[in-house]
Amino acid sequence: MSGADDGLPSRPPGIRLGAAAPRLAAILLGAACVAWTATPFLPSGWARVALIASVVAVTAGALRLALSDIPQPEDGYFLPAPVRAWLAFGALLRSLPWEEIALVALLWLEVQHPARPWHTVALGAGLMAYLLAVHIAESGAPDLFRRQARVLLAGACLLALGAGAAMLPGVGAGAGSALLRVLAAVAVIAAAVLALPA
Amino acid sequence: MAPVIPNEAGLLAAPSVPPDAKADTEVEVRWRPSRHARRLLTLAAAALLLATVTRRPELVGAAAPALLLLGAARPGRPTRIGVRVGLTTTRLSEGELAAVDVKVADDAHDARWELQAGRGIEPASATAVGGAAARFVFTVPRWGKRQVGSVALILHDRWRLTEGRVTFKLPSVDCYPNPAVQRTRVVLSRLPNRLGEHSARMPGEGVEFTGVRDYVPGDRQRQINWPASTRRGRLQVNTFAAERSQDVVLLVDATSDVGEPGSSALDLGLRGAAGAARAYLDARDRVGVIMYQWGGAQWLPPSLGRRTFYKIIDAMLSADAAWTRGAPVFGRLPRAALPPGALVVAFSPLLEQRFVEALRDTRERGFALMVVDVLNTEPPTRLAFADLMARRIWRMEQQAIRFSLRELGVPVVHWDGESPLDLPLAPYTRRPLVVGR
Repeated sequence: MSGADDGLPSRPPGIRLGAAAPRLAAILLGAACVAWTATPFLPSGWARVALIASVVAVTAGALRLALSDIPQPEDGYFLPAPVRAWLAFGALLRSLPWEEIALVALLWLEVQHPARPWHTVALGAGLMAYLLAVHIAESGAPDLFRRQARVLLAGACLLALGAGAAMLPGVGAGAGSALLRVLAAVAVIAAAVLALPA
Repeated sequence: MAPVIPNEAGLLAAPSVPPDAKADTEVEVRWRPSRHARRLLTLAAAALLLATVTRRPELVGAAAPALLLLGAARPGRPTRIGVRVGLTTTRLSEGELAAVDVKVADDAHDARWELQAGRGIEPASATAVGGAAARFVFTVPRWGKRQVGSVALILHDRWRLTEGRVTFKLPSVDCYPNPAVQRTRVVLSRLPNRLGEHSARMPGEGVEFTGVRDYVPGDRQRQINWPASTRRGRLQVNTFAAERSQDVVLLVDATSDVGEPGSSALDLGLRGAAGAARAYLDARDRVGVIMYQWGGAQWLPPSLGRRTFYKIIDAMLSADAAWTRGAPVFGRLPRAALPPGALVVAFSPLLEQRFVEALRDTRERGFALMVVDVLNTEPPTRLAFADLMARRIWRMEQQAIRFSLRELGVPVVHWDGESPLDLPLAPYTRRPLVVGR
């Protein structure tokens, strides 16, 4: 029945797509992050474990987002086995922090590769976009990106700064110089946080 | 201030919480990092740890946006906020719409409301909405005392990095059974000497004409029937029937609840009793109720008035067919609940033998008794010879019970719960029910 027939206001056709767009974006960004990090493919054992973990976590997170609107059947006694399996599957999807697991696995996979600063920086930007898309899809707050635009812009600058710092030639041959650069990057971020207006 | 959510609101009365009303309940809010903040923290911590371990500064850069977002969040969240949560009604009938109105006096944070409906509550609108004020519409499909559930208020800061959660337990609602339609009434042939609306067989000051008689000194002049006086050659006066009321006791058998939920024997019994109570109270009769249930019985002595109707419904809401509460404590109906000369209308599937014995005993004590049979189901059977035979025996037993009651002078009528009660009671509402011993 159309909206005009039942007296209810008719729904614009773009609304349904608007609700699904953040979920689709989150799923695509998660898949892109996995593909970006896994390239080139490393045959070593730890890299393979990290890749499998990231694929599983991103897939589970995508399923959780995709199935979030499907109503759960009421819990009760003597449920048939398929319904019980479906309930257990849904509970598993909701109980574990799949996005956090995916983040750690992807970063772990990234450090398995030899140093590639711009690649890592792009991964950082992709992960932030993935987290924002997931959050917008969950909370339905489409203006969240606009509210945080200034801070995200500052974060992007620091991201680029970190990549640039990593590409500078080392001060010395010792291990201390690399650690010093890490500490310097942390100090820059801390200064930026303190300088940011409320 | 966000407007009230327009979900099904047109079907309800005005909201119990005006949009500009001052919030009247201060509640404490517990703030914690949101799921988004926890993910950002995980990203930042993992990147910093790996940067330190592997000595790769670009990983610190990857942690920078998350750290900036987390560091830019400023404190200043209120620990107490004003909230108003109210129900539009605490009493409703089966299938009637009611609503929970919620409102928070806090414009600085994004508010989201979530309704967790209790058992037996069916939401009729969205169960999660955003905004400072909202309305959740629900309905109760079956009678009983129901816990509406709870409403959770989730507050988010501007960047959605922290969230405050408060849960409000909603009060219970009384869902009344839908009274059956009954417009006619069974009236006894012998009525107590109390003013009412039923025409009695004795002469009195009513409005129903019964005949003429000779004039005797003291009769009112306005009662003289001049045509009859002219014909007979002497003064004749009109006589009228007295108008009396009766005592009606509704007896509801709650020991058996068989059939589909929503149209079970107990459902039909309560709806029929509610309809009968309303019909007799409208005729100024005194109506009482006896709930015959496991673990004992409770009753209300007959009384008058609209308030009595709600007392009867409240008494019926405590009906419980749980056999685990124990056996009934009496085999005969209590004397205090049965005034002499009362009409007893029983609603029962006649499955409990002790209840049938109590009916026989009541009839033998001289009460006018009528049984409305509300059994509309049969035991499930398979296509096996033993099952078919058992079902046939069961049917014969049921027929025997009804036959034995009819032999005692107890009318037994069957009601399907769909048609008005007037239909099965029609043979007994056309003329006064003769009370015999």
